[in-house]
Order: sequence, then structure tokens, then C-alpha cells
Amino acid sequence: MFDLPPRARVLLAACWVAGQGALVVTAYGRPDHIFGFQMFPEASTIEIHLSRETARGDVPALRGEWGARDPSGQLRHFTWRDRIRDPVLGSLDARIFASYGVDAQLARLQRALDDVADHVPEDGETVRLRADVRVWKNGRSPSTVTLTSHLRRGG
Amino acid sequence: MFAFVRRWRDEVGSTYVLGEVRLALGVLLFWNAWRAARELEQGYFGDVFHWPIVPESFVPSHALYANIVLAQLLLAALVVAGRGARLALFLSAVAGIYLLCCDRMQFHHNRWALFCYAWLLSLSPCDRSLAIGRPKSTTVGPLWAARLAQVQVSIVYLASGGSKLLDPDWRSGLVILERIRLHMAATVSQGGMPARVLDGLSRPEVASGLAKLAIATELGLAVGLWLPHTRVFALWWGVCFHLTIEATSSVEGFTWLTLAIYALFATPDVRARKVFYDASRFRGRLAGRAVSWLDWLARFEVKPWAPDDVRRGRSVVVVRRDGTYATGVRALAMIARCVPSMFVLWAPLALVASFTESGDASAGA
Repeated sequence: MFDLPPRARVLLAACWVAGQGALVVTAYGRPDHIFGFQMFPEASTIEIHLSRETARGDVPALRGEWGARDPSGQLRHFTWRDRIRDPVLGSLDARIFASYGVDAQLARLQRALDDVADHVPEDGETVRLRADVRVWKNGRSPSTVTLTSHLRRGG
Repeated sequence: MFAFVRRWRDEVGSTYVLGEVRLALGVLLFWNAWRAARELEQGYFGDVFHWPIVPESFVPSHALYANIVLAQLLLAALVVAGRGARLALFLSAVAGIYLLCCDRMQFHHNRWALFCYAWLLSLSPCDRSLAIGRPKSTTVGPLWAARLAQVQVSIVYLASGGSKLLDPDWRSGLVILERIRLHMAATVSQGGMPARVLDGLSRPEVASGLAKLAIATELGLAVGLWLPHTRVFALWWGVCFHLTIEATSSVEGFTWLTLAIYALFATPDVRARKVFYDASRFRGRLAGRAVSWLDWLARFEVKPWAPDDVRRGRSVVVVRRDGTYATGVRALAMIARCVPSMFVLWAPLALVASFTESGDASAGA
């Protein structure tokens, strides 16, 4: 099964090299550059601060924890880390190394915000989640990037 | 061009080293599956935030994922044992790539590289040596897939070095400077490194030089590993490069994976050189025993001798491929060149040997 005839060897090798080449070149178009073998792309750090947008204004969610009333009016407790186990995205309010670069972590964070927003149905107050990210790209002076989750239904 | 393709396509050689690379990949696949099993104890990735490349409906259930991880462990054991190893390598690669596509949060270059190499090795006759239940014999087989795995090594270096070359922050040394500051500051504060070393490495001109060296190394290795005159030095430089990365960064099994694949660059023959040792001397017997144990790539035929004009007064004499003799530090350099665990010593020993006038003799001496 694995002993290919000579002509198939050439075909497979050509496909393999072309496929790897395509993955490497197109990796620049993916925020996390996966399949691109871009080792140690950056030495950036980030600090994520989570907050919630509610009808009464923005409310910080220190250490990723917050309390909110459910639709029946009962107070409930929510934790970012219930859904987010990733060591980088799970480290809120602390400066941390941005593995695979800032773009990769921001892309992941955007999806994490949407994911958490979708998985707290008991939260009747939060309209959407917001992350203010301080970014030190390769040691330069910090800049701030703000990401928001999509609007929550019933928030 | 066609002649080159035909030569690559039809090349045959010893499959001994392929068996060793298979063994190393089996261990790394097992370690990878073991890590996944340990992580599963902390919780199933599909129950929390994950980012699939495939549609969500293709992500396995908790129970199916547990079974896939168990299967990966069993497949890795088969790879190590050499029983059904090629199918096991192929299935390990397919399962691993599938799981990477189920959650790109778990993507790491070393894991992707491991599955690529596993796939390519499954196409080579890697089960003909070092397999349980197979007679211990030297076999010959097609090497085209092993050569393709070597091409993959160059692709990795080109992609990595090329991305750094295109990045102004990398070229200028900014990335490496910040990495030094971030990672080594902790080492210094724990007393693991003198502060003046950090100060020296943290100078912009030093970081800039290191960055250019890293880029040149990766791009140079992509080519140098293929050229007969630079191959051994490229392998030595690559080993030092990867061991430095292993000592300073966390790269899971990437160092050991790359070093295992480096073995494919060895000339595909066995025992083409000879080591003669003086069995009447303790040093000779010790050297003979050590070379026998450490000669994992089967480069040497190790034999006791009856001393003659060349060998008299020598504990060890090495006979090279071309029939010339090496003694003293030249013999030691030759052994270091061929013995994986001593390979880092090859370049310094070869440098010392190049300054010595004695140590070479012709076959007819």
C-alpha cells in the first residue's frame, strides 16, 4: 500500500512540495500564521482588561469575574476562565508574552469574546463583552486595541 | 533535470537509519499523545473555547476524542515496535492533523512538523530494521520518501528564515533583543546567569548581530545540508543551533524531532568505516566498547587488531571510507563525526586535528 510505483512517487512529491509551499506562502494571510513555520515571529507582550457593556454603561470585569442578574432577577456569578483555558487569553489584567505574535492573540481573543458572550445565557445584563488590550509590540511603547464581542441576544 | 529526478526517484540504499528515525518519531508521537491524554484529564477541549478550522460538526465528541487519543498511544507503540509501523505512522499523521484542524488553539509548529514527517516516513521502508520480530539484517530499499522528508527540513528552514528576513523587526534585532530582555531577565534574577552576560546580550548591536546570524543559519542550513562539501559542517552547526534553542526556549519536542530527521542526511550505508582497537590495552578495549555502544548509525565496523607498523603504539585506528588511516586526534575527530552523542565535539576536534601534522597514513602504510 505504501510502496508507490515510480511515477506516483514523482506526482506525490510534486504535490507535497507545492502544498507545503502554498501553506507557507498563504500563512501570511492567516492571523496566527498556522502551517507557515514562522518560528519565534515576535517578542511582543499584551495585557488584557475585560469589561462588559450594559444598559447602565461599561462595567469592568476584574480578573474576568462578574456578577449579573439573570432574566428572572436572580444574581449570578460568571467567570471568564470557565470557558477560556488558554494560558495567554486566560491571564487577564497581567502583562503576558504574546505567543505567536500580537495578531494571533488578538484574533484568538476576538473569537474568545464571541464564544464567552454565547455561553453565558443566564447573564441578563451584559449587552456585549469588551477587551481593552495594551500591546507592547517587540518592546515598543504601548498602544491600546479594543475588541468587542458581537451583541448578545437578550442582553 | 530529468536525470536528477530519475536518480532521486530510483535511489536505493541501506534502510538501517530509517528504522532509527522511525523509532525516534514513535517516541515523539507517544509523548505527544501522552500529553494530550494528560490534558484530557483537565477537561475536554470541545467543552470550552476552541477554534476549529473544520466545521464544528466535524469536531469529535468527548468520548470519540478520548478514543482517538488512546488510538494515538497504541499507534505510537506500534511505530516504536516496528510492527505495522508504516500504517501506524500514516494513521498517526492523519489523526494528528485532523485534531489540529479541530482546534487551532492547539496548533504548534513542532506538532505540525511531527505529523508531516510521520506521513513522509510512512512512505519509506522504515520497518525493515529495528523491528520486533524481524531478523536483524541489513536491508536495502528505496530512499525517495526519506529524501522528501529531508526536503521538508529545508522547507521548514526556508519558511522560518525567510519570514525573519522579510520582517524589519527581526532583521534589525529588535525581536531577539526583546526576547533576551524578557526571558533572560528572569534567569538572571534567579541567579541562573550573571547580570553582565544579560547586559552584554542586551546591547542593540549584539542583538542585531545575533538576529542576522539566526537568519543566515536557517537559510544556510536549507541549502548547506544538501551540498557534499558543506553537509557535515551544516549538520554540526544545525545541531548546535537547535541545542541552543532547546536551552533557551520552550519548543516541546521540536529539537529532538529535527535532530532525529538529521539522521536521514547520513550516507545510506552501514559499517563503511572501520575502527581497530588494541585489545591488549585497557584504553583500546574501552574505546572499542564505547564506539560499539554509541555507534547508533552503524557507521563503523569495530574490530580488535594485531598491531602492525601503523597501529603499533596506538589504542585506536580509524580506517576511512577511502581506505586512509586516521590516528590520534584525527581518529577521535572521525569517531565524533560519526557518533551522534559525540557529534557536537566534531568541529572543535577537527579544528585541532587540522593543526596536527601526524595522524594520517595511507592504506598502504
